[in-house]
Formats: sequence, structure tokens, C-alpha cells
Amino acid sequence: MSSASVRGMVRSPFVLVVGVVLTWFIAAFLVWPNVNVLMATFFPDGSFSGRAAEKLFSSQRAMKALGNSFLLAVALSITVNLVGIFIVLVTHYFRIRGSRILFLGYASTFIYGGIVLAAGYKFIYGDKGIVTSLLVKVFPGMDPGWFSGFFAVLVVMTFATTTNHMLFVANALKGIDYQTIEAARNLGASTWTILRRIVLPMLKPTLFAVTILSFLTGLGALSAPQVLGGRDFQTITPMILTFTNSPTSRDLAALLAVILGLATILMLAVMSRLEKGGTYFSVSKVSSELQKQEITNPAANIAVHVLAYLLFAVYTLPVVLIVLYSFADGAAIQTGQLALGNLTLDNYVRVLTQQSGLRPFIVSVVYSALAALIAVGGLLFVARLLQKYKNWVATAFEYLLHIPWILPSALLALGLIISYDHPNPLVGGAVLTGTTVILLIAFVTVKIPFTLRMLKASFASVNSSLEEAAAIMGARTLYVFRRILLPLVLPAAAAITALNFNSLLDDYDTAIFLAHPLVQPLGLVIKANTDGAEGVAGVANTFVYTVLLMVITGVTMYLVYGRSSRGKSRKKRLPAVPPASPVPGPGLPGTPVSTEDAAQPAAPVR
Amino acid sequence: MIRLDNIEVSFGDFTAIPHLDLHVRPGEFFTLLGPSGCGKTTALRTLAGFIQPSAGTVHVDGKDVTRLPSDKRQVGMVFQNYALFPSMSVWENIAFGLRVRKEKQADSDRLVRDIARRVELSDEQLAKNVAELSGGQQQRVAVARALVLRPKILLLDEPLSNLDAKLRHQLRQQLKDLQSEFGITTVYVTHDQDEALAMSDRVAVFNKGVVEQVGTPQEIYDHAGTEFVCNFIGDSSTLTPEFVAEVNRLSGAQLSTEATSYLRVEKASLAAPAGGSPAVGLPGTVVSRTYHGLHSRYVVRSHGAEIRLLVKEDGGAHPEPGTETTVYLQPAHILQYHRETGVALRQQERAVVLP
Amino acid sequence: MRKLQSLVAAAVAAALLAGCGGAASPPASSADASSAPAGGSGETLVVYTNSNGEGRGEWLTAKAAEAGFTIEIVGAGGADATNKLIAEKNNPIADVAFGLNNMYFSQIKAEDALEPYTPSWAGEVDKELGDGETYWPLVKQAILLGYNSDKISKDSAPQDWTDLWTKDEFKDRYERVTGLGTATAQLVFAGILSRYRDDSGDLGISDEGWQQVEQYFQNGSPAVAKTDLFARIASGEVDMGQMPSSIIAEREKSFKVNVDTVIPSVGVPLAVEQIALVKGTGKKEQAQKFIDWFGSADVQGAFAQQFNSMPVNKSAEAKANPEVVDFFADLKQQDIDWEFVQENMGAWVEKIELEYMT
Repeated sequence: MSSASVRGMVRSPFVLVVGVVLTWFIAAFLVWPNVNVLMATFFPDGSFSGRAAEKLFSSQRAMKALGNSFLLAVALSITVNLVGIFIVLVTHYFRIRGSRILFLGYASTFIYGGIVLAAGYKFIYGDKGIVTSLLVKVFPGMDPGWFSGFFAVLVVMTFATTTNHMLFVANALKGIDYQTIEAARNLGASTWTILRRIVLPMLKPTLFAVTILSFLTGLGALSAPQVLGGRDFQTITPMILTFTNSPTSRDLAALLAVILGLATILMLAVMSRLEKGGTYFSVSKVSSELQKQEITNPAANIAVHVLAYLLFAVYTLPVVLIVLYSFADGAAIQTGQLALGNLTLDNYVRVLTQQSGLRPFIVSVVYSALAALIAVGGLLFVARLLQKYKNWVATAFEYLLHIPWILPSALLALGLIISYDHPNPLVGGAVLTGTTVILLIAFVTVKIPFTLRMLKASFASVNSSLEEAAAIMGARTLYVFRRILLPLVLPAAAAITALNFNSLLDDYDTAIFLAHPLVQPLGLVIKANTDGAEGVAGVANTFVYTVLLMVITGVTMYLVYGRSSRGKSRKKRLPAVPPASPVPGPGLPGTPVSTEDAAQPAAPVR
Repeated sequence: MIRLDNIEVSFGDFTAIPHLDLHVRPGEFFTLLGPSGCGKTTALRTLAGFIQPSAGTVHVDGKDVTRLPSDKRQVGMVFQNYALFPSMSVWENIAFGLRVRKEKQADSDRLVRDIARRVELSDEQLAKNVAELSGGQQQRVAVARALVLRPKILLLDEPLSNLDAKLRHQLRQQLKDLQSEFGITTVYVTHDQDEALAMSDRVAVFNKGVVEQVGTPQEIYDHAGTEFVCNFIGDSSTLTPEFVAEVNRLSGAQLSTEATSYLRVEKASLAAPAGGSPAVGLPGTVVSRTYHGLHSRYVVRSHGAEIRLLVKEDGGAHPEPGTETTVYLQPAHILQYHRETGVALRQQERAVVLP
Repeated sequence: MRKLQSLVAAAVAAALLAGCGGAASPPASSADASSAPAGGSGETLVVYTNSNGEGRGEWLTAKAAEAGFTIEIVGAGGADATNKLIAEKNNPIADVAFGLNNMYFSQIKAEDALEPYTPSWAGEVDKELGDGETYWPLVKQAILLGYNSDKISKDSAPQDWTDLWTKDEFKDRYERVTGLGTATAQLVFAGILSRYRDDSGDLGISDEGWQQVEQYFQNGSPAVAKTDLFARIASGEVDMGQMPSSIIAEREKSFKVNVDTVIPSVGVPLAVEQIALVKGTGKKEQAQKFIDWFGSADVQGAFAQQFNSMPVNKSAEAKANPEVVDFFADLKQQDIDWEFVQENMGAWVEKIELEYMT
């Protein structure tokens, strides 16, 4: 872009304002606190201490755990893509019977995760799980503890983290020009070739983005390895958390975090480089809507159907069991014995009538909603500018905004405390600790990298001539942004907001340090329950909280995502209705497109 | 070369093409012309194998291909937006079909370079990303990609519709030249009558899923078979029954005064034609004149009809609005259509009875 | 352009207002409606504790309200509460902290986050259990090795922690920790390592001591996240493991198992839950009154009665569950140099996490 020079950037008042606000925010909340915390850990007495590195590198356990984390990250980047792409294709690309139902099943990861999800899988495949019991009956010689270690962790985390695929890859898929697929078919390409050579390459930017996320998820894996990893497959995150909480070992935590952070940045750089290489958006000016593809090979068709429904079972069983177990007593949950007769509402009554009652829910919802909205709202401008101006300043800003990915949230929280527990000119001389705003800042901060990546990806798919067209007609920058760009990225922005909201609801790591004692979010309450402080009932309470969280997150996802997709599907479900006017407007590919199967009426292309 | 017999296409309750018969001859440049939504693209896509007709058969080169998938029909297609693969270079785009066929790398490269030379794409352009090409270059890539597989038929779906006027004119010629050079049977879809008339060997005019007329450009222009074709192609004036009656009286022709009658703008004149032609002159009043440089457009009222006509700007006389004048025309040039069915009345017979 | 500026300004203003508002006046909903006869002003005291679970928090809030104190309990694990108190020392939110053991409180004291105060009941407790200056003892907790008594008889049970890895029959039958974040785990190791104090050894512990730790981790069955030891005992996965005395009775009931405890000849590590005044509190007087009230024989007795705990306050013992009192009367307390332990615990945890945990 010709206007990408630094001087060009500075000339726009819009850029200047965003730039100033951004610079202040980065300096005050990303750089300063983290520099502080790193200084405090690595330069405890003003001089550098190499103690941490020495300790860590001589520890077999730390090195092994670190290795495991990397192994998991790499493996997960691959497996999540495999499964994620498969479920996206099954629900959005191929004509599969019951794809709506399948979608709902696969979408269950939208609404729950973490320790309860791992527990859900354990109920099914663990040594006393229902599937294991069945298998042992069939193969008496089999080891009931088969579902543990690296394999089990990888399986669970793979299925748990396809959320991003369902949201972003599916969205990108919808944007593919159907004519390119027809063209390839006309040139003799098979279903498989079209997928591999045409469709997947066009999804690359989104796939890169979600791969980074998968990598990060693997690197930061906590609950799945704890529950299912067993003796041989423990990861580094639990160690980081332990060391973060011990003032004398904080340098180790910081060092480990920095190692993970550098890996993240490296991954980011590699992906950015790969992404730069190609053109992925359609070069065509007129595109037609994607039509679902028939799998012509009957054997392949059956295989895909079977696999799709198997995955459906894998996805939905844990949710069903978690809901069931939330009605059972704590002892039954921990010993894995479920009797339908023992299911009562006691857990729900206990949770909802306890002293704090619904208050943590409200606090969490308000905090998460505010943080999600601020993060997405603010970064909409930033992402647009970063996407538009590709120069060294923009690149520097972009990397700085990824700082929260380098350090674990507990360290970020500590950094904020160290920096703002005394009057600080960066925030107008205010003391932030002990206020409600500091947690909000932390919440916004931790969500910045994810939000930025995803927003940038969605801006990348916006045709730049739209903006130029509006500008030529005299529209101001902000007007163009609001009326032209925003509507285009709004679905993605809404989805990101919802994901941010959902993931912040049960945050613990930052809240424990920063929450105002009188305005405590849900994560703290849940943690108290899982810690065993609430005794046996605590575990049952956790399940209740999870189910209630599922309800909240389910409603959120429905509001921002389900409604629109349902609207679309309604159109699709009534294909028999002819286009409103048999003569679509000029200049559009006004041709009804059908598929091979004449019995299957297809929707007319608009 | 191509036969569509009794084709019917419907989408659910909506019938896009109720009944279609078409016959395209080998080597022909055949155009499907019609307004948006008339079913011409549906017909093309049925031929390409993207749409399965609910009835009828498709034959290509004597072979029934009705049930064959697109790639087994030996048809190449250029899409409205070219449908180039954005993630591939120009070379890869053109070579795509060859690689799918598992041609040897060396053969592929030879074929790609060969076809690229013939559509005038340089080696340098071959290495580029498709997004870096201009609209015209993209079109040539799309054509090359379709032709490199040596299809029996080339299908073009409004390939010029997204381009600016000048480029469109230029590419129209290039496309036509390419077609003549390759000698490949081509089916071309467009809503632009200019394009259709200038490029085609024969044209099929579509309206609401039905072929109104098939013929050479001249046939459909001079002898528009239906009122729709007459109106869709070219520019003409509607004649009143009084006007037609006066023509009959002056010339002794037996034109129907019941039918809807049209006269092409270029078939009327204000100057008496050179001797020997059976023209008649009717008195009229000049209503308006618009200057177009090459010519002026006149509207002349005569016997209740507003006759539009062109006068060449060759320095001759140019009556101003309000002046009395005479409109000259040949009765044989009057196009007449049945008021109810819109079908042309048989002109040849009338021409014969003319004195 | 103007729009953006106002937008940002509004957002910032809203955020800051929310912040100030939250800091200045706690939301009304948190203040209990009860009047304040004895406690006085009715200001809300913020109390940090790790001992609010299983209804303790609710019980205390209700009892305090009866006595005229409006309190807000903020629950967090021992390490978390400690970190929070230290982190907030320049702008404290808490007024009182209780429930943390000497190890944690001595850390907080070292960071200068506690205000010296001598409660009215200081004379009724053994000063040695606290520091006699800033934090004062409330409740005794024994850190025990418990075993499934339905499966193992008293005679064949282990006699000490070291038996677990030296005797083959206990190998892989005991649960060993997978992290040293909890107070209980740290106390277990304090108890084991203290026996091998050697000032010339690594971190003050002899090589033999470290070998014990190594053996402990090599021969134990790793704890499973979110699965209670009692659940594992019930399912037969393991037969024994560490447990604080106060939870045993309740868990036995929940999981329908019977557990007996081992009293090694060197004694049992005792964790003593303390109470302290937070430095810099704005409600010092009120907080001191609360400490006086909570540590009093009456309240401690009622607390002990309710939660089967062992009060330090001698006058409260009468009200406590006699079984518990008897148990503690018979209990031999292990002699542990808490100063030594506190000084080294951080380094020990680090060393164990890095070198011995597998």
C-alpha cells in the first residue's frame, strides 16, 4: 500500500489519536508493569542473577515438563487442525445428513472447558469410565488405565479446543467464491483435490491464526495434564503457577514464562512470514455463495458420515455426563459411581442459597462483559490500522500488544500490583490496587493478543476498495469505519467478544491477585470449591457452577452467533421457495445453482 | 457438435427452463443472449454439467453426456469472474487441470508455456500471483486454463461483464481472435446485444427460460422472430395503425393494421433514397433533434407515430424542430408481430406481393 | 474524529469512576442490615482468611453480626491470601487476617505488612504458638498420616512417614503430593526435613534428608487432580496419605471409609492457625475489637463446637468436642524450629519441585 509510510500514518488525525491512546495504554499497562516484575525477579538486588536459569536447566523435571509442554503444543497444532477442519467441513462444506445436529454437538466446546471438561472425559474413558467398563467387558485383558498420559491429554485437548475452528475457519469458508470450486471441478479435480488445492489454501490466514492459538493452548496446558497426564506426562504450567505463588521462586516462574513467551513470539513470527507470502482472498469481484458439496464416492461418504457421528458422540457425551453428575453428590462424582436414583437438586439449592449466592455471577458477568467490549471495541481501531499500515512502527506496536501472551496472567497481575500500589504518574497519580478498575485493566490486557489476531484476520478479508470507494465519496475516516468496515467485521467481532466474555467468566489467575475483596468474581468462588476448602460438597459445587456457566455462555453464544446462523439456515432450509423475483438484479450472477442431485433442491444464489 | 434436447431445469417449485432445444454446429461461435435472469446462464451451466436437468438430454460430439460430471464432458469453462485460484500463481492456475490429470511435470510445463504464448502471456507473468494481473490478463489466464486441456467446447459465462467499456471492446476482439485461431466450438453467454452481434456466428435469444429465436446476427436483427427479440435487440419506433394504413395506401403493400408494427431507426430517412427503391414518403413534423457528432437523432411525428431516425452529419440539410418534413421508408422494412402471441407475421410473403 | 475522542474519554472516565467508587464505598449490598450494638460504628471489616470453607465463613459472619460487627469474609488459599496481603501492603484492603499458620504469617510479618497488637485474650493462649507480637494463635491443627483402618490393622500400619518408602508393603500404596502449594504438604515436609537438619548440608538439610524426599516421591502414588484422597482410599487405589486432623471425621462419613492415624515417635507437626491485624488499616479500632471478640473463649469455644476444631484458648477447650480435646491431649507435638523452616521453606519447595518430583 502506497500510504503505508510512517509519515503517511502521522498525517492522519485518526491515526494520531488512536496512536496516542495506544501508546499510553501499552506503556502503562503492558510494558511498565511487566518490566517491573521482570526487573524484580531477575535483578533482585539491582544486579542480574543467573540463579533461575542455572536451577532450571539443571532440573530434570523442569526440562522434561518443558519438553512435554512443547511436545503438546506442536502435537496439538496438528491434531486440532485435523479435527477442527474436519468438523468445519462436515458442518459447512459437505452435504452431511443432520449437519445441524452435528453442529450443535461440536459447538459444545463453546460453552465449557478447563478442569470440568477434563473431568467429563475422565468419567467416560478413565479407569472407571463408562466406555472403559464396556471395553473391559469385551476385551478382559485390557488395561483399564489406558486413557492416560500424553495420548489422553492430546485427545482431550484436541476435542476441547476446536472452538476457534468452528468460529473462524467456518466463517472464512463461507467467504470462498463458489465459482472457483466449480472451475476446479470443471478442470477435472476430485472432491479431495479441490479441498486440498483450492479450499484449504484459501483458508490459510485463518488456519495460521487458529494454529497459533492451538499452539498457545498446548503450551499453557494446565488441567488436562493434571487430570489425565499421570506420572509420565506433566507439563510446565503447574510448576509456573507454584513458583509464581512463592516469592522466593518467582524468578523461576518468570524465566519459564519468558521461555514460553519467546516460543510464542517465534511461532507468531513464523506464521506472519508464511502468511505474507500469498494472496488468499478471492481476486474476483463477483462471487457466489458456497454450496454444500456432495461426496460422490459412496464408501467415502459413509466413512465421513460415520466419523462425523462418532465425533459427535465424543463431543457430547462429556457434556451430558457433567450435567447428570451435577445432580449427584460429591462422593459419587469423585468415585465415578452414578445412580439415577441419587440425583437430587441439593447441589443447586446449596450453591444458589449460600451466602454469596448469585452475586459472584453478576460480578463476573459485568466484569467479563465490560472487558470483552472494551478489548474488542478498542482493538477494532487498532487492528484496522495495523492491517492498513504495514511499516516498522505498526510492526513494533503489534509485537508489543502480544506481551500478555508472553507472561502468564498471574505475573501480569503481579506486575500491575508492583507498579500501581503507589501513586503513579502514568495513571494520573492514582493508586490502582484495591480498586475495582485494576481487575478490569487486567482482564482487558489478557484478552488483547487474541482479540488483535482475530480482528486483524477478519479485516484482512475486507476488500480495501470498499473503503476507498467510500473515501472518494467524501466520507470521513470514522464514518467509513462505522458504516462500511464495522458491519463487515461485526460478525467476527461479536464472536470474539463472546469468546472473550466466556473465557473471562471463570478467570482465577488474575482475579486472585487483583479482585476487590468486596466485588469478587466467580473464579475465586469456584476455586475455593475445587480446592477442597468446601469439603466433599465443593466438588459437586464445581459441577453446578460449570453447568450454570454453560447456561450463561450458551446464552451468549446463542445471542451473538446462533441467531444469525439460524437465520441463514432458515433460508437454506426452505429451498423450495423460488427467489422473490425470477429476475435478479443486473450484474449479479443471477443463476440458480444446483448440485449433481436433482432431487435435492438447492437455494438460488443471490 | 452440441445438442440440447427437451431440456427442462427446475429448482424446487421454480422452473428456470421449461423446454429447450438447441443445436450448436462444430467450430461455431454460438451466443446465448438475453436479459438477466432469462435462463441463459442456467442453460450454459446445464451444458457444463453443473446443473442436472430434470428432463431431456445433452449430447456433445454425438455422445450423451447428460449424466456425466462436468470434467468428463470435455468442456472448458471461463467463469463470469474468471474464478482464478487466488492461492496459486498464474502458471499453477493454468497447470491445475494438467496436474489433476497427473501429466508429467515436463509435459505440463510445455503445454502451459505453449498455451500461454498463444494467449500472449509472458513467462514473467506466468510466475506472478493472479492478484497482480490486470483484468484483461486475468481473462487470458482463465481462457488459457480452460483451453490447455484441449476441450471440445469452450463455455464463456459473461466473461466481459465486469470490465470497463474500452477494455471490453478490446477483449471482445481478442476473445474472438482466439476462438477463430483455435477453431473451437464456443458457447458464449451475454446480456450485451452489441457483443452478441459482433462476435457470434449464431445467436440464441432467451426470454424467461424460452428460446425466442436462433439465427445469425443479421437474421435476428433484420428479421426479429418475435416482438421480444425486436425490442431487445436494436432500436426501433412503434408505428400506429394509421401510419401503417397510409403506407399501404401509398405503396399498395398489404401490411396488417391489426398487428404491432416497428421500424428500425436506421431504416427511416429524411432524404429520398436513390432511385429504384420502393420507398414511400410520409409527411411529418420534426419533434426533436439531438446531436451525437457522427449523426443526429431525430424524432418525427407522422400519423400519430413518433418515428425515430438517424441523420448522418455529412454537412447536408438539417431541419430544426417544428419544421415540416417527409419521412421515407420501405414497406418491406416494417416489422410486424401478432398482438397476442408476439410472433412475427410472415414478411417474405408480403414482400413478394409488393408491386 | 470528535466521536472517537469522546468515546475514549467516556470509557476512561467510566472506568475510573467505577474504580474510585468501588474503592471509596463498598457496594451497599455487602453491608449487613443488622444494627451494631456492641461492635460500634457498623463499618464493614474486610477479613482475609483461608479458613472460610465448609460453612465457617457463613457461621462467622452471622455470629459477628449478632455481636455487632459487619464483616466481609474474603476467602483464598493460604499461599494466595499471603501473597495478596503482601501485594497490597502499600494500599491494604484487608483489616484482619486469620486462619493462616505461623509459616505464612511470619512471611507476611517479614514484609512488614502486619500491625503489632496484643489481644485481650493473649493471656489465655500459649504465646509460644504465635510470635507474641503481631500474630496470635487460634486453632491447632495436626498434620497426620492417615490409613484405611478397614484394610490395615493398627499393628501392620506404618509407624512413621519413613516407613512408607522403606517398607515394601507400603510402596505405591500411599498418595504422594504432586505440588507443594498447599500448607498441609509444606508442613509434612517441614516435619520430615526438620529431622535431618545439618547446617553444612544443602539448604540446611543433610544428604540423607534429601534422600528421604527422593524416596517419598519415587515410591508414592501421585495424587490425582480434583480427586480427594478419601475418594481414592474408598476406591482402593491407595490406602494412606497426608491429612489435616480437622477434615477426617467429615470425609470418613462422605466416602464411607474408616481412617486411623499414625503418631510417629518424633511427634506430629502442628499447624497453628493465627489471627493478626493488618498494617495500615483505616479501621484499626474496630478491627482490634473484632480480634478481641473472635479470639475470646466464648467465640472460640462455639467455633470449636461447631467445626470440631481444637482451640488454642485454654478456656475454650471446655466447649470443644471432648474427643478432639482428648486426641490433642495425647498427641505428641513434633519439635520444629519454625524460624528455620520459614527461612528455608521457599528454597525447599523450589528444590523439591525441581529435583525430586517426578
